[in-house]
Amino acid sequence: MATIDLIDLKKNYGNVQAVKGVNLTVADGELIVLVGPSGCGKSTLLRMVAGLETVTSGRIEIGGKDVVRAEPAERDIAMVFQNYALYPHMSVRGNLEYGLKNRGTPRAEIDRRVQDAADILEIGPLLERKPRQLSGGQRQRVAMGRAIVREPAAFLFDEPLSNLDAKLRVQMRVEIRRLQRRLKTTSLYVTHDQLEAMTLADRLVVMNGGLVEQIGTPIEVYDRPATLFVAGFIGSPPMNLIPAASLSGGENAEALQLGADTDIVGLRPDQLHLERPEGNALTLAGTVELLEPVGGESHLHVQIPGTEQPIILTVQGRPKLEEGDTITIYARPENIHPFNQQTGWRTDAS
Amino acid sequence: MVENRPWLSFLTHLVLIVGVVVVVFPVYLAFIASTHGSGDFMRGLVPLLPGPHMLENYGRMLTQGISTAGAPPVSIMLMNSTIIAIVIAVGKIAISLLSAYAIVFFKFPFRLLAFWIIFITLMLPVEVRIIPTFAVVANLGLLNSYVGLTLPLIASATATFLFRQFFLTVPDELMEAARVDGAGPMKFFRDILLPLSRTNIAALFVILFIYGWVQYLWPLLVTTDSRYYTVVMGIKRLAATADSEPLWNLVMASVILAMLPPVLVVIFMQRLFVKGLVDTEK
Repeated sequence: MATIDLIDLKKNYGNVQAVKGVNLTVADGELIVLVGPSGCGKSTLLRMVAGLETVTSGRIEIGGKDVVRAEPAERDIAMVFQNYALYPHMSVRGNLEYGLKNRGTPRAEIDRRVQDAADILEIGPLLERKPRQLSGGQRQRVAMGRAIVREPAAFLFDEPLSNLDAKLRVQMRVEIRRLQRRLKTTSLYVTHDQLEAMTLADRLVVMNGGLVEQIGTPIEVYDRPATLFVAGFIGSPPMNLIPAASLSGGENAEALQLGADTDIVGLRPDQLHLERPEGNALTLAGTVELLEPVGGESHLHVQIPGTEQPIILTVQGRPKLEEGDTITIYARPENIHPFNQQTGWRTDAS
Repeated sequence: MVENRPWLSFLTHLVLIVGVVVVVFPVYLAFIASTHGSGDFMRGLVPLLPGPHMLENYGRMLTQGISTAGAPPVSIMLMNSTIIAIVIAVGKIAISLLSAYAIVFFKFPFRLLAFWIIFITLMLPVEVRIIPTFAVVANLGLLNSYVGLTLPLIASATATFLFRQFFLTVPDELMEAARVDGAGPMKFFRDILLPLSRTNIAALFVILFIYGWVQYLWPLLVTTDSRYYTVVMGIKRLAATADSEPLWNLVMASVILAMLPPVLVVIFMQRLFVKGLVDTEK
């Protein structure tokens, strides 16, 4: 049980700045997900916390103790790797025990912890097998088991689910969440999958280009993206980003109360409607360019005059529309996200 | 490829059989010769069936040798050869494992240079540097000793290179996981890397054992004391007797004895050997 504090953490590879000064506090027992596109520095950040990567400048504190110069083994952390990194020649039991043995844990204690971990993860019958005799999901469990038996101050997950197939990924995601709730161990979790990020996180850290773009609960990040990047990155289909100039004028003036520095307007696909809501509404007319049924809902691509990209909106069920139809779509004023193109920041930040 | 062409299958078998005969016949002849009396091979008509003197010939060679040719009993030479082959194989493997480990897993100044220097020694096999090496060994007073026989043959670029290639295929995460698990560099080497290299080590042992066993030129140069003769060079001494016909039956008995250990090593380590060359356990 511990907090993790990152204070102005930086990492350079030669002239390339991979991490450009990150400040973050992970509360005790909290699960923080680092999410961002590849190359945004999230894995580097995690590896610095693990001690597998040296720190260019800044401090890392685990449980209030500065660990920048400590070896990974001295940091009281456990890490789950993307490819599991199980020792191929050791049995599952051997894999679980190895770290404890190196620490000189008494035999009885090792046996108890391995048994506990095996019970929690339901890998008891697999203990004597070799990793190559296990399926992907089972290997994943063993990798988690190896972290659990250590009873560390913090778990570090480096894209642990990206080698699993889609179905198993959902299942393991739920299990990781359940496990983390149960053990209440402070965790840092790196992923590029935003669905994983949204569902797992107590708080999300969205990273881009070595910088933190926004820190907040998944709902906060979804409802009030702080920057244009976050707006475009979180949410699927992504938020529609439209030049403000192409919307203003006419009857939209009342709904669209924008500050002077707003030049981009963001609209979530699921917050656009085909029926006029009560009160003020942003009104857009356009032609249906493409209709994508995805089962329970449909994605409509609508071309609005004055914009390059078609606007995407999600509609429940299957609307009786055809490609080429002219329609009007509406958005509530509170669902309009104003941004400034130059700074990339939200302009109505409170 | 599944094909049903009788004449093709006949032809391929014929070629293979001819090949086997070409290789096996001299060995067979050596065996036959080793079972006959001393004069039998001088009569001009080479016997093709085993004779009655097998135990006698082998017994004599193992216990007495041929004193007129200055050769000690074959048992001593076999022992020498075994010691030398094992020391060379084990020494080469130990040194190359460690140097490959250093080159792959540690970052130190001039790492690449170190690798290339090792690599370049591939161009300098024993035969090329034999005179200077002899001078060094002689000046160190290592003539007629096991150290002198083995040490110059131990440094090995081939084995280092092989282990380097294998270590490069070991995922970095494995080392990182071990670091998080509290294993230092030597512990990682012993607990993880060594067990993973098991099949490679076995394969290399077979190759290097035979390499050490068949060394001829070097033992010939550095040994003058018959107590340090190896069997491969000893055979040459047996055959080159002055002023008399070579005792072919006895020479051939030594030849068969000399062939046995490498064959046994290959047979008993074949499973590991093939596995090591074909797949890596990952």
